[in-house]
Amino acid sequence: MNTEKLVNLAVSDTGFIFDPTTGQTYNTNALGMEIIRLLKKNCDPPQIIEKLLEQYAVSANELELDVMDYIRNLKNFHLLS
Amino acid sequence: MLKIAVSGINAVDNPGPGTGIMRALKESPLAVRTIGLAYDAMEPGIYMDGIVDKSYIIPYPSGERKSFTTRLKYIHSMEKLDIIIPALDAELPVFMDIATELESWGIKMLIPDRHKFNLRQKMELNKLADAIDIKSPRYFSCTSYDDLHRAVNDLGLPCMIKGPFYEAFKAVSLSEAEGFFIRIANKWGYPIIAQQFIQGEEYDVVGCGDGEGGHLGLFAIKKMTTTSLGKVWNAISIKNEELHQTADRLLTFLKWRGGFELEVLIDHQTQAINLIEINPRFPAWVYMSAACGVNLPERLVRFLMGMDYERTSDYRSGRIMIRYTNEIIKDIKDFENISSLGELENNIEEETC
Repeated sequence: MNTEKLVNLAVSDTGFIFDPTTGQTYNTNALGMEIIRLLKKNCDPPQIIEKLLEQYAVSANELELDVMDYIRNLKNFHLLS
Repeated sequence: MLKIAVSGINAVDNPGPGTGIMRALKESPLAVRTIGLAYDAMEPGIYMDGIVDKSYIIPYPSGERKSFTTRLKYIHSMEKLDIIIPALDAELPVFMDIATELESWGIKMLIPDRHKFNLRQKMELNKLADAIDIKSPRYFSCTSYDDLHRAVNDLGLPCMIKGPFYEAFKAVSLSEAEGFFIRIANKWGYPIIAQQFIQGEEYDVVGCGDGEGGHLGLFAIKKMTTTSLGKVWNAISIKNEELHQTADRLLTFLKWRGGFELEVLIDHQTQAINLIEINPRFPAWVYMSAACGVNLPERLVRFLMGMDYERTSDYRSGRIMIRYTNEIIKDIKDFENISSLGELENNIEEETC
């Protein structure tokens, strides 16, 4: 995955995201912020799921659905390719 | 003290750039006396203390050329102007025609010549987009309902209906396109442009060309909200290298002289930059560039006056412009002066006993 655009995003502690190249703004929750943080570190989806399983009391299947859905959204917003 | 005349002080819902230009000059370190050139006694800029020092009514540029220059000569005799910054599309051809005469009076302007001006006309945009290697929406020039019907048939709906100088509307049906066609033609004349509609986000770059392919700085925004006429109402500053490079290529190609606004649309699906329009003067939101550190009106003045000026485009992204409405309360005497005498001095202290 190409995370170049994610690296440029300004993500605040409140989950407010600003893309300085397009001017687009987004809001995300704590889980979304964590996924973005891990993607910026070049973690792939299995690694992200593994790390999040350590933090959240949720099944691996459910988490995988959420993570992949979130990644799809990032791609739809052209933040990930 | 530099005496600088600026037109386009109609700060209404379809705002001219004049008051933004003068505000940027007033907030610069330059000592400036600002002279507003107004076409109507109700242009709000006339009454703006602290921004416009004095205003004069001038004849419409579409009228007799002689009366236009005679009026400017009178204003120059009163003010000893150093610079005129024309800020409206429709008056630029007139200022181009009289540029040599104004120069002989000692008045400087930074404006393009007619050839460059014509290259960025709406009817030439496809060629220009090709030359600077970006995309542009397909369009047709229309001077009759028959032309319009053929254009809408080819472009599909929705499509954009645009005037030769101002105004653009999104038409979702043929009857709506016809309505916009006649409305714009009655106001601005022909040709009317029917243009392909592209779903995407609108971005603008403002800059000032030095006439040799370079610039005095660039500043880019994303439009956040627009008025019903498509004018920027809220905007956010962005740093987008691709947009700056596009503006660079445009300037290299046109060797543009003066302020300009590059309007593009980034296709939501393909992320391709589409050329929408090139306005041949500063936009109404030009003050935002000054407030964010790239004071283009100040740089234009310094360039023309042979003073030191910056060419950098250093500014912060994520600064938001919020436009709002306001009211100025003035005495009827001010309206009397501008409507009867054709001029009004602001910032005069009332005599007290």
